[in-house]
Amino acid sequence: MSIDRSRFDKGMTYDAYKAQMTRNRERFEENEKRVDLGREDLDAFRALPRPVKVVVLAEDWCGDVIANVPVLGRLAKESGKLDLRVFLRDQNDDIMQRYLNKGQFKSIPVFVFFDEDFRELGHWIERPASVTEIRAKRRNQIFAAHPEFGSPDAPVDVLPEEVRVRLQGELAKMRDETTKFANAEVIRELREIATRVAA
Amino acid sequence: MTAAHKVKITYCAECGYEPQTLDLAKKLMLEFGAQLSSIELIPWEGGTFDVSVDGDLVHSMTRDGGFPRHDRIADAVRVRLSA
Repeated sequence: MSIDRSRFDKGMTYDAYKAQMTRNRERFEENEKRVDLGREDLDAFRALPRPVKVVVLAEDWCGDVIANVPVLGRLAKESGKLDLRVFLRDQNDDIMQRYLNKGQFKSIPVFVFFDEDFRELGHWIERPASVTEIRAKRRNQIFAAHPEFGSPDAPVDVLPEEVRVRLQGELAKMRDETTKFANAEVIRELREIATRVAA
Repeated sequence: MTAAHKVKITYCAECGYEPQTLDLAKKLMLEFGAQLSSIELIPWEGGTFDVSVDGDLVHSMTRDGGFPRHDRIADAVRVRLSA
């Protein structure tokens, strides 16, 4: 089923989505605060000739949703040019099936951008490839620096619990250190899609 | 002497894999009861869903794709119990 105005209006507003979250809301709102919007990016969104409608597929247990939906939320709030409606992935499989990652995975978040006549401008899935790449590289560096963590490809259940906890800490630190880069990449990619409305 | 047989299920907590983890753990609990010395659930990240029996990795989402069929995990446990 394609998205039309009637279906779009059935989605939750950003604030309504936040209000119904049953987990991770604190992390979600902390990430909202951490988004650093540059003047040039914000101006590009503010300069959109017409508001862009964005369908968001999300679930509150997903790490990529908790990381990336707040970036879109801040862009919407501060530009006034993005009209968001959030749909829960597991209750809207017809939408999900249209935007499967690599044609097979139900990766979220999904952001689908539409003009005022609901012509699709483009869509965005999960996280930027550049973020996946840099985090994989940093992950390998962590394993190289800590032989006690074993092989990056080995199952973690073979590690003693205290080593596993330290590894978890190192990975969390790495994600934290790469958040600024990740947010900037999300903004760059979303800007590229949203500004197609002006073309 | 009875050998201690352990199952470990490592699941991606960020991915919402708790239902699949609990379903598998329940299946093993009901089928094998006290024949297993422990079923350990390890919350992890990165899209992981790994199952090991006595240290042997019998299913890995990365290696094998998707979630395991419960009967295949149960078969792997039976093999260890009868060894």
